[in-house]
Amino acid sequence: MDFSIFLQQLVNGASLGSMYALIAIGYTMVYGVLRLINFAHGDFMMVGAFLTLFGYSAGIPFELSVLLAIVGSAFIGVMTDKIAYKPLRDAPKISLLITAIGISFFLENLFIVLFGATPKAFNAPEYLTKVFHVGEIYLPISVIIIPIVTVLILTFILYILYKTKYGMAIRALAFDIPTVKLMGVDADRIIMIVFIIGSSLAAIGGIFYAVSYPSIDPLMGIIVGLKAFAAAVLGGIGSVTGAVLGGFILGFTEIFVVAMFPELGGYKDAFAFFFLILVLLFRPTGIMGEDLERSRF
Amino acid sequence: MKSLTSFVAAAALMSGISFAKEVKIGVVLPLTGGVAAFGETSKKGLEVAHEQNSKLSNGDSVKLIIVDDRSDKVEAATSVKKLLDKDQVSVILGEVASSNSMAMAPVAEKAKTPMITHASTNPRVTKGKKYVTRACFIDPFQGAVMAKYALDNRLNSAVVVTDAKQDYSVGLSKAFKKAYEASGGKIVKTVLINSGDKDFNAQVASIKAANPDIIAFTGYYNEAALLAKQARNMGLKSPFIGADGVGFPELVKIGGKATEGFMYTDHFNEAAAASAEAKAYVEAYHKKFNGKTADSMGALAADAYGMIIAAMNKCIADKKQSDDKECINTNLRSTKDYKGITGVITINKDGDSVKSAVVNAVKDGKFAYKTTVNP
Repeated sequence: MDFSIFLQQLVNGASLGSMYALIAIGYTMVYGVLRLINFAHGDFMMVGAFLTLFGYSAGIPFELSVLLAIVGSAFIGVMTDKIAYKPLRDAPKISLLITAIGISFFLENLFIVLFGATPKAFNAPEYLTKVFHVGEIYLPISVIIIPIVTVLILTFILYILYKTKYGMAIRALAFDIPTVKLMGVDADRIIMIVFIIGSSLAAIGGIFYAVSYPSIDPLMGIIVGLKAFAAAVLGGIGSVTGAVLGGFILGFTEIFVVAMFPELGGYKDAFAFFFLILVLLFRPTGIMGEDLERSRF
Repeated sequence: MKSLTSFVAAAALMSGISFAKEVKIGVVLPLTGGVAAFGETSKKGLEVAHEQNSKLSNGDSVKLIIVDDRSDKVEAATSVKKLLDKDQVSVILGEVASSNSMAMAPVAEKAKTPMITHASTNPRVTKGKKYVTRACFIDPFQGAVMAKYALDNRLNSAVVVTDAKQDYSVGLSKAFKKAYEASGGKIVKTVLINSGDKDFNAQVASIKAANPDIIAFTGYYNEAALLAKQARNMGLKSPFIGADGVGFPELVKIGGKATEGFMYTDHFNEAAAASAEAKAYVEAYHKKFNGKTADSMGALAADAYGMIIAAMNKCIADKKQSDDKECINTNLRSTKDYKGITGVITINKDGDSVKSAVVNAVKDGKFAYKTTVNP
């Protein structure tokens, strides 16, 4: 592999990894607070992509459609929590998990009914699909924007978590919900904020995904969601920095496996998950995770 | 139910008319899921053919029972079982994807029910089967046409891109390689993808390093469009050639300008419709669907339907029941010079159809006819 191809793959890996990272943050935050693996999370990403397409093809400018889609996904995320998860706060965790799977099926099939199951073309505006040449490297503009936005978002989230009162409340909830409630904190409100953050990030991830791979369908969230979940586990579930790290590792692994062994390209998912198993064998709590019961973000 | 049947029987006795029967054809198509686009147009073609001709020579009427298998192998096999057990159909028509047809074939074979696939081109679909026939040509032929067309245009080195998840693609790649190398072409690299994947940047980089004259893509339209787009984004300029799996408007819708010049082999192009049968079909199709282009999946489905009707009519001529499965199957398997929409069809001893192929290419976002290749 010569150097320019290596650089090209590096850029591609960063872009793919960023999308996994954005979705993984939501997984990890919800898990941190509720100890819930929110299997519907991958579908929030699909919702984000579809709402954007919906707005955009109805004549709303692209930027505004993106904004509306993010707000819409956040709303669906919050409603999911209010309707499906909140009544089960004191129920066994397994009931919550099964409910999450149910919500996932519901969202997928709802969008099949609304939009049909055929993959739809997602034609982003010209300026997002431009391609730059730097020597031998080809850089679609999205490949540059995506990692930058991801890093900005991570900084923002870490700021909220460690420098604001809300962040302190979220971290406190991750330790012990009943005690935090006794201190007079409105736990449900904080959980709502967690869902808003998680679902909007998933929507952003979904929109990036659709811009990069312009064919979207109602089931697109399943495998990407699964991989983002793997990324969150790899990085140490409950840790935001870990989720981002896990996302990037997974993105790079996938890209480089195919780049180095093109004849094994059909098995790239297997490699990604094999890598996950390998890490978990030596660090069962993931790279950044300290303790499965008490996540510290 | 029983009382209804006896009522009908009594009514028949009283009026003294011998009732014309209803013969059922069970159709399994991917109407949702990954290759739904193929299922939808197959259904449209079938509807047109059914409207043109829904009565047999003795007055029996033909009923289509269409089932969606969600582009899924297991669901396809289950659908056949349902059509046989619950609906008591006499013939099975379908599927599009070879993987799905292969899942269906053993079920039909076991029930000794004739099955005809209109569009599955993998040789293994009919291999060793007594009750499975097809209305389309097979991949060794299609692969040879791809290879010949590429070499005729002096594209002498190729990278083959195979969709590892699809039997269709694996078989077609093999056929292409064999024919291409036998005629002096050079395969410089083989690259694997998975249907459902969206990121092919790594594959594109490795194709680029091989710098081939042509990229032979043997998968379906969705991946073709994404691959073409990412290839052009990364400055990979080699032309693409595909097969009947890519010839669908979604290719251009998703891939946009990147698919310009994409060549592919196909069963039918309405621009090249020459026979009276083809012209009549295209006209009826345009009328029913407001001038929509009559594509090859629909034309093939119509041909498969026509072949079934012809086989049933022959049974009637031989003084047999129109729903006699053995008779229908024997007649289907011995179809000779059937004047279909997609060409003149003859079924060989393996149950495969021997007929011509067309080559198309994307030009200004439309599928332009290039040439016809005979077997």
